[in-house]
This record gives sequence, structure tokens and C-alpha cells, in this order.
Amino acid sequence: MTPDIIRRNNVRISGRGSQPMMFAHGFGCDQNMWRLVAPAFEQDYKIVLFDYVGSGRSDLDSYDAARYSDLRGYAQDVLEICRALDLQNVIFVSHSVSSMVAVLAAIEEPERFERLVLIGPSPRYINDPPYVGGFEREDIDGLLEMMDKNYVGWANFLGPAIMKNDARPELAAELTESFCSTDPVIARRFAEATFFADNRNDLRNVSVPALILQCSDDLIAPDAVGEFVHREMQGSTFRKMAATGHCPHMSHPEETIEAMKEYLQPTDVG
Amino acid sequence: MSGEPLPLNPEPLAVDPILDNAPCGFLTFGDDGVVQLANATFLEMLGYGSDEVVGHHIERLMPVGSRIFYQTHWFPLLRLHGEAEEIFLMLRGKSGEQVGVLVNASARAAAGGSRRVYDCVFMHVRERQKYEQELLSARKKADLANLELERQAVELRDANGKLEAQALELEMQQQQLEEQAVVLEETSEELRVINEDLLARTEEAEQLRDTAEAANRAKSTFLAIMSHELRTPLNAIAGYVQLMEMGIHGPVTAAQEEALSRISRSQRHLLRLINDVLDLARIESGRVEYLLEAVDVAEMVTAVSPMIEPQLAKKHITFTTSVPKGVMVRVDREKVQQILLNLLGNSVKFTPDGGTVSVHAASHPDGSNFALISVEDTGIGIPPHKLGGVFEAFVQVDDGHNRANEGSGLGLAISRDLARGMGGDLTAESVLGKGSTFTVHLPIANGD
Repeated sequence: MTPDIIRRNNVRISGRGSQPMMFAHGFGCDQNMWRLVAPAFEQDYKIVLFDYVGSGRSDLDSYDAARYSDLRGYAQDVLEICRALDLQNVIFVSHSVSSMVAVLAAIEEPERFERLVLIGPSPRYINDPPYVGGFEREDIDGLLEMMDKNYVGWANFLGPAIMKNDARPELAAELTESFCSTDPVIARRFAEATFFADNRNDLRNVSVPALILQCSDDLIAPDAVGEFVHREMQGSTFRKMAATGHCPHMSHPEETIEAMKEYLQPTDVG
Repeated sequence: MSGEPLPLNPEPLAVDPILDNAPCGFLTFGDDGVVQLANATFLEMLGYGSDEVVGHHIERLMPVGSRIFYQTHWFPLLRLHGEAEEIFLMLRGKSGEQVGVLVNASARAAAGGSRRVYDCVFMHVRERQKYEQELLSARKKADLANLELERQAVELRDANGKLEAQALELEMQQQQLEEQAVVLEETSEELRVINEDLLARTEEAEQLRDTAEAANRAKSTFLAIMSHELRTPLNAIAGYVQLMEMGIHGPVTAAQEEALSRISRSQRHLLRLINDVLDLARIESGRVEYLLEAVDVAEMVTAVSPMIEPQLAKKHITFTTSVPKGVMVRVDREKVQQILLNLLGNSVKFTPDGGTVSVHAASHPDGSNFALISVEDTGIGIPPHKLGGVFEAFVQVDDGHNRANEGSGLGLAISRDLARGMGGDLTAESVLGKGSTFTVHLPIANGD
């Protein structure tokens, strides 16, 4: 059972610490997105990286359309990995949609998690007046269209041969790995599970302390959404970042690392 | 915090004149998404001025769907992969129009830091986009058709399963029907055997009936012949007794006279018995002829009454008649008188001294087409269980009365046969110890 889950989610473990720090990637990417942040914690933590089924190098044969049409299916994956590796006191770092996966997992097994770090969380992307999520349904259609068109273009493009890039050795490590999901049907379902989810009512049931990292000028998770999450989650910490966009762990890894470390340091240090 | 954020409107980088007018759009942006350089071709493609693009976020050039795609796919790909080729992006021109472009982009380290900048080459796609659109829609149609095929395959499998189940059921039903057919065949065979048996029995019964009828006819014939043969010597006995009584063979003593008288009485009795037997045999063998004519009932009663007066007087029996005149029946006069005489004789015979015998007649009782002549007495009566048997030949109701009331026992049987022979009937009612009533039913003569 355990090897199956490790293989299913392409789980990778590294680091010299004993407390687990688990990183959950967002929609459109895989565990590689943590490449600029995770190494900064290898000294003090046991780093656990994984791909959601259907993303990265996960086992596509394990894909279950019914299970993964809802974020709860992804939360089950997270808990199954925790159980398989017997992870306790987990620092769970999540980006974007994974923040709601973290919320669902923390509600189900709160004792397993010590802290949550939510980067650009949004409990609902579609506007529901007076709630402002930032998008209308048609906007998501535009995204899906863009994905469709690029899968047509990418079909013969993301093969390993093209990935070689001798000119940029610093990127070599990941070049041999496929990057984003190449299965358009799965990607589309993940997009729908992500952008049509509504987890606003789940937030208040989270008892695990959480850090909310809010980017500046984040189109996907605007300030108002981050503040809403902060209000709803008891004991959460809100931090507005100078980093712009939606992916500070990639665009501004230094600031991201610093914010995380500051939050995670022992509280008795003034 | 390390590294400095780029100023929102940095000094525009100088663009090489060749690059500026190259036949493709060119643009450079940083990790924070802020555009650092755009060539004239790119600006022309979207209709912006340089100051509307450079120093602003690249998302500003995109519709919302493209912005999400940029954040979730393109930027992570560029940042981590270092390059992304042939990415289709929908951009937004200054006047709001959608401009589809193909982008090749690659990352390079920005001067002095871990930051990166991204150089992008844009090609406006028009015709190509059209073909791609067609390709995409064709592919979607194919996917949908495939799904539909799969669905139909599942349906067909289901339908096949159902058909197989039905076939199985039909087979079972067929088997049941065959079993039932076997049972029916067996039943049919049993019924056929029973039917044959019944037919055989019917035939047997018919044979028995024929045999019985033949035997009955033989009996009647035998009785007729025997009666005739018996009467001849009886007549001889009567003749010779009469001659001796007349003293033709010499004087007759008182004792001899007494013996002759007894012989004579026995001879008459025997003759009467034989005549009755002969009558019955003739009637039963169907050799009696009826001379039917319209006759007045009262006339017949009047004709018969005197014949029983001696017996009535002897037993002091009161005799009354109540017969309306003019009741006409169609009968054989002699036969009716014989019946009446027999009934009256019986009544007198079984009525004790000082009793009463009466005759009534009525026409059309209960609207029927018959006349009734009843002979009522105050005699010993007949127990109900024996009433039905009084018309059988050789039957008298009470064996105990046999000797006291001598007779052939054939009178009632003969009377009923005669009545029936004329289209009428003879019935009896009785209360034990109180008396009996015998009623002759005779057909009314219509307009004769």
C-alpha cells in the first residue's frame, strides 16, 4: 500500500531535519515549482514533495475522474501520503488551490498538522456578490480555451529531447523531467475542480494555525480574498508581500523564504 | 529581504533599430511581470504607445483568461524550464480587440542578482489560428464522438446482456412449456383412456338395456302364452263343476255340493288372477289398442257404480259421488271404467265396515288440460314410504293383509299402465289409518 501511494504521487523526501515540511503545488504545475524555496529548509526539516495524480510524474493510471473532480479527492491524497509516511506535526506549505486542499485535510485530521503556510489562497474564484472572487465563469472559459490551444501546440513539443538546454546548466536538473501535465482532459478537470470550488464555509472549521501570504497585485487571489480568508480562519496570520503576481515562491523566492522562516521561528524569541 | 524591486517605470532600454523594426514583436519582462522593453513591431501589433507598455505589468496586455494562464502555466514554465516555445496567447489590443499570438520566450539572468528577465518573440497568428481552431474543434468533435462511441458500446453491452438474459428466460419458459406439454399429453392420454372406458361402459349399458328389454319382452310373451294356456283348462274345470252341480252325473250330496262350490270359487279366483296377468302382459308388451273418443266423466262413473253396490251393502259402506256433468275426456271408455272399477274395488276392500267411499271429479285443475277423477276412502291407508310402490306389479302394501284381502296385486299396475296408455296418469295420496285417495288424470276432449 505504502509503495503504491509513494509511486502514485511521485513522493520525494529530502532534508536533514525530523519535522516534516510538506509542499503542495498549485494548478498548472508540479512539485518542481518549489525548487527555489524548498532547499532553504532542508537543513532543519524533512522535506516532502509530491505531485497530485494527473500532474508531473504522478501515476496517470491511478487517475480516477470521480475522485479528482472534487478537491476532497486531492485532500485524501495528502492524508494518505501523511499516513503512509507516518508524518506528524507537519508544516504544510501550499500554493494557490492547494491552500484549500490544506484546509480540507486540516479539518479532517487537525492533529497531524502543526502549521499551514497558505500562499495566495482563495476559497472561491468566481464572484458571488457581494463576495468578490475575482472571476466570472466566462473568464475561466478563456483559460480553458488557452489550455486547449496550447495542448494542441504542445502535443509534440514537451518531449524530453526538447527539454535539453545545455546553455543553461543551472536549470538542467529539471529539464529531464516533464513539467506540466500533458493530459489535456485531466488538466481541464483539475481546472474545473479548482476554479469552480467553493470552500468559504470550510475556513472557519480549521483549528490549525496558518500563515497567509498575500502577494501584491495578485490577479488570481486579490487582497480582498486573502483578507477574507484571514478573517474566517481563527488564529491565522496575514502577511502582505512586496512580491507581485501569484507565484512569489518562483518570482520572489527570497521574500517567500524569509516570510516563512519568520513565521516558523519559535515564538519565545522576541 | 534581498534584491530590489524594479521601479514601476524604469528608464526605457535602448532598442536596436534592426530589432525595433524586425518582422516580429519583441518584448522583455522581469520576474515581477513588469515589461522592460518592447519593440515597435510589438507595439504596432497591439496599437499601444511605448509608454503604455514599458514599465507596466505584462498582464495588462492580456484578457483575464490569458492572465490566469500566464500565472498558472506560462510564467512557471518560463521560470523553471527556462524557455517556452510556441505558446499560444490571446492578447488584448488597445482598442480592446483580441490578438492571437504565438510566443517563443527564454529566460536569462538579470544583471546582478537571482532575478531573471524573459525575452519574448511574438508572431501574429491569423490564418494559422483559423486552422488551429479547425483542428481543435475537429479534435473536440472526435473526442466527443469517441465518448459517444464508448457510451454506445456500454449501452450495446448492456443491451446484449439484457438480450442474453431474456434469451435465457425464454429458454427456461420454453423448457417449462415443454414440460407442461408432456404433462398435458399424459393427461390427454389418461382422458382418452377414461373416454374409451366410458364408451365401452355406455355400450355395455346399452347392451344390458337391450338384453333387459329383450328379457322383458320375452317375459311378457311368455306370460301371455302361459295365461292363455292356463285359461283353457280352467274353463274346462268350470264347465265340469257346473255339469256336476246340475246333477247331470247323478245326485249331489250336501257335502259334495259344498266341495263343488269351493272348487268353483277357487277356479274363479284363479281365472281372475290369470286374466290380470294376461292384461298386464298385454299392456306391457304394447299389444293393447285404445279406442279413443270423447266421453262424459259422469256417465262413466254412473255406469260403474252399480257394479260395486253388493260389496258396499255387505260392508255397510257409505258411497257418495260428486261429479259435475259435461266434463268430457278423450279416452277409451272401457279402459277408464276398468280403472274406476279397480279403484272402487280396492277402496271397498281396504275400508272397514261402516266406512265411506266417495268419488269426485274436476276439470282443468290448476289450469292444466286434464280432468281428475278421485276415489277416496276411509280405509287403512298406506305408509308414505310404500306409497310409491303400490303401482308396481305383484306388490301389496302390507303382507299382513294379503290373506284377508286377496287379489292378484296387479290391479293398480294395470290401471296406471292403462291411464298412461291414454295420455293420462294415476296417482295416490294416503294418510296411514285415515284413508287413501287415488286420482285418475285424463286428457280433456277439446271440441270433439
